[in-house]
Amino acid sequence: MPVWQSIYDELKSDSFEIISVAQDAGGEEAAGAIFDDANVSYTSIIDVNHHISSLYNLLNVPSGVWIDEAGKIARINEGTYAKTHFNGAWGTDDYVPIVRDWVANGADSPYVWDSEKVRENIFQRTPEAEMAQPAFRLGTFYFTRDNDEKAERYWSLAQELDPDSWNYLRQDLQYEDGGSAGPEWSERRERIEGAGGTYYAPLEI
Amino acid sequence: MNSSKKIGLVFGALCFSSVVSGQSAVVLYNERVVEVDQTLPDARDLWVKPEDLTRINDFVLKPEGACLEELCIPVLQDRDSDMFVTRSNQGWFNVTGLADKLQQAHMADYNDGIWSFGTMPLERQSFFSAGEAPEFELPDRDGNIVRLSDFRGKKVLLLTWASW
Repeated sequence: MPVWQSIYDELKSDSFEIISVAQDAGGEEAAGAIFDDANVSYTSIIDVNHHISSLYNLLNVPSGVWIDEAGKIARINEGTYAKTHFNGAWGTDDYVPIVRDWVANGADSPYVWDSEKVRENIFQRTPEAEMAQPAFRLGTFYFTRDNDEKAERYWSLAQELDPDSWNYLRQDLQYEDGGSAGPEWSERRERIEGAGGTYYAPLEI
Repeated sequence: MNSSKKIGLVFGALCFSSVVSGQSAVVLYNERVVEVDQTLPDARDLWVKPEDLTRINDFVLKPEGACLEELCIPVLQDRDSDMFVTRSNQGWFNVTGLADKLQQAHMADYNDGIWSFGTMPLERQSFFSAGEAPEFELPDRDGNIVRLSDFRGKKVLLLTWASW
């Protein structure tokens, strides 16, 4: 977060904006301090219903989408980081340079995808997985009203309907023993990666 | 999955046996939480007065049908149908029926009368076919409404993250 702020300080202009959207059912209480500690000045949203992930078919956080001046997508569905963290334990130093190139060169940047590649990179959900968003929304409605039993019921249902979404699983695990990166998460990550799947949507640079 | 479907069916059955006339409902539609004072009792579908339809999803019931801007879904109103019925001179519109026609996902907790709707596929046609960024409308941390279209003419780096 502080790194994105420094990149924003460098690149912000009348023709570039960062919209940062926290996918946090816990609202201000969960995500507010993280924005505040970084003294964020770009557009900051706390999206309790994970609406953006659902709308853009993003499966995990952090994810990035490039949107050009005409509202067309130039890159989508990539696991994005501002830098590497903890000596390379996660993250990447490769993403920020291509953002810089795009901001400077626009459509001429070699990192801008054509519409066909954009279409190919939009994740496709099944009709059953489309049911997960209203289920998750219902769960969050109950969560914010302290009805934990029903919150759990509908958040679990969302995970069953859309098993590709890491968001729905990890949001739920945040409020359970073990947490969002505990044994249940590791077990599932190992299983999916063992089968050749990916945890973060791949970054192609 | 199976257990969840069964739960849904049990809720439906319970609801059918315990409905009271004029049951209220809460409708979750995008960021909206719409309280509806009266619905028509029904085991499966959400029937509301035409004015409540507009409060829920901006559709307006006109003589030619249920309309949102240029889009109009034909609805007969001079006789009862699966979309519109008249009871004691009050018209009732089937919101879930409209969602089904639009292939819009929805889910309900029938016991509590809470109805939740997903995104209309129409809103994302140009996303899948032409890579156009779907429009959104969400409050920022100060409560100001942020629309993607407010940034037309700028490059936008849209980033998601989470505390979890």
